Amino acid sequence: MAHLLSFIDTRPQFEPPQPPEPSLPPTKSITASSKSALLVENDESLLNFLRRSLKDEGYAVRTASSSEEGLRLYRDCAPFNVVLIDYCVPQSNGVEIDYCAPQTNGIELAMAIREINPSQGIIIAAFDYRNAGEVPRPRELMHIPLLIDISKFQLRSLLEKIDVDRAIEALTSSELLRLRQFAAFRARGLGRAARGRTGEDLLAEALLGTLIGAEVTGKGRHWNKDVDFVRHLTGAMRSISSCWKRQFKEKEAYLISELFLHDAEEQEGSPLENVASGDPAADQRLIEKDEQDRVLTIFKADPEATQVLHGLLGSLKKNEIMSSYGLDEKRYAAAMKRIRVKLLGRKNGGGRGEKHGR
Amino acid sequence: MEDKKNHDEHLERITNQLAESVLGLSDEAIIEETSEAGADPEQGAEATRLVLRQASKALDNVNKRLSNLGHTINPSYWWPGLGEYHNNCLSCGSLVSLTTATGEMQGEVFDTPCPESGQYTIRRREASRK
Repeated sequence: MAHLLSFIDTRPQFEPPQPPEPSLPPTKSITASSKSALLVENDESLLNFLRRSLKDEGYAVRTASSSEEGLRLYRDCAPFNVVLIDYCVPQSNGVEIDYCAPQTNGIELAMAIREINPSQGIIIAAFDYRNAGEVPRPRELMHIPLLIDISKFQLRSLLEKIDVDRAIEALTSSELLRLRQFAAFRARGLGRAARGRTGEDLLAEALLGTLIGAEVTGKGRHWNKDVDFVRHLTGAMRSISSCWKRQFKEKEAYLISELFLHDAEEQEGSPLENVASGDPAADQRLIEKDEQDRVLTIFKADPEATQVLHGLLGSLKKNEIMSSYGLDEKRYAAAMKRIRVKLLGRKNGGGRGEKHGR
Repeated sequence: MEDKKNHDEHLERITNQLAESVLGLSDEAIIEETSEAGADPEQGAEATRLVLRQASKALDNVNKRLSNLGHTINPSYWWPGLGEYHNNCLSCGSLVSLTTATGEMQGEVFDTPCPESGQYTIRRREASRK
């Protein structure tokens, strides 16, 4: 494997594919799984590792230990979403597979195993076919300046990203609107703790958190594929907005202690405690009080919406609000709708949670 | 003190409940509500998809730029800061930061190619000449 590139430099530039060996047994096409991968690798331990990695990501994996066998699988079982080729496998060294790969429309990612780096594991040259202007052959991956180099622990991330990108494209208009409104309301509720960040920022962070994990800090938000994607993103947004609020409070607490609370005696009944201009937390309370009053004023002429708002302020559950104010299901839903529509409307600062589309 | 705390959380409580209520709306209802709020539902939906696509693309851009300079990062090692994520090159330790809202990349990692990846870079250059 170490002499891999010198091998590539000296081999013939292009060879036409050979017909499959007639003596080889026929192979069934993979149709049961929605994702399929072809893995051509002659190193057994590497083959097992990569097969496990791909299977963990939900891929139906076909494996071959020679180029010839790989080509046969490629022809019989195509299309594959992912093709992973070791250029050092015996028999023609993957050249035929190179030749065939671009002819398959379904291919999303091709990777060529390139070399073993003692400190980082496998270095793989990968090319994302979905974003390609001119589709290169996997063999040409070695000659593309912008190829992505990934090591063995990056393989999983790359495969996960394919799933996430697919899920983004599969979202319906109504799902996207639900995400948009959810994000806008969550961001709006943060008040000053949002530090200028909008609902769109919250949504973008939820997606980035999904993609990049941050496993080291235990704050990874990897998408468990058993969970609906919208549900995953809304869960991530809940968690991130709570985190923003917490970070803001911690920061404020630090400022207060720095500026005013020099000792325990001063903490008790400090004359500065309620001076809005000197106490950031008091400022925040005043801002939120103003916002709360403003929201209630908007619905002054709508008694049922005002009742629902008071119920929400009092932490009442839906049924409790309905029974407290004698509202039936229909009237409660209608009041909630009026509240959402008015608060999302331009006149009432709905644009604060969003940057586009209005 | 408890009153102050509750007061702080009143607005958040309302908006969070409103956010949750959105999730239970039917497809028709959410589209209708968006229109009633004065926005074009189709435009709003596509703008949201664009936000998601841009966030995903931002990560691709980081990976490509790092790769061009010979740096290697472990994508599971990103740690969050205030509106940012940070990571280090596994070979030389240089820092890279990604701003979530804008997708902007910065850090010493972009100052110079990775000094530890010399052999690899030469190999790639040789390959690209073919």
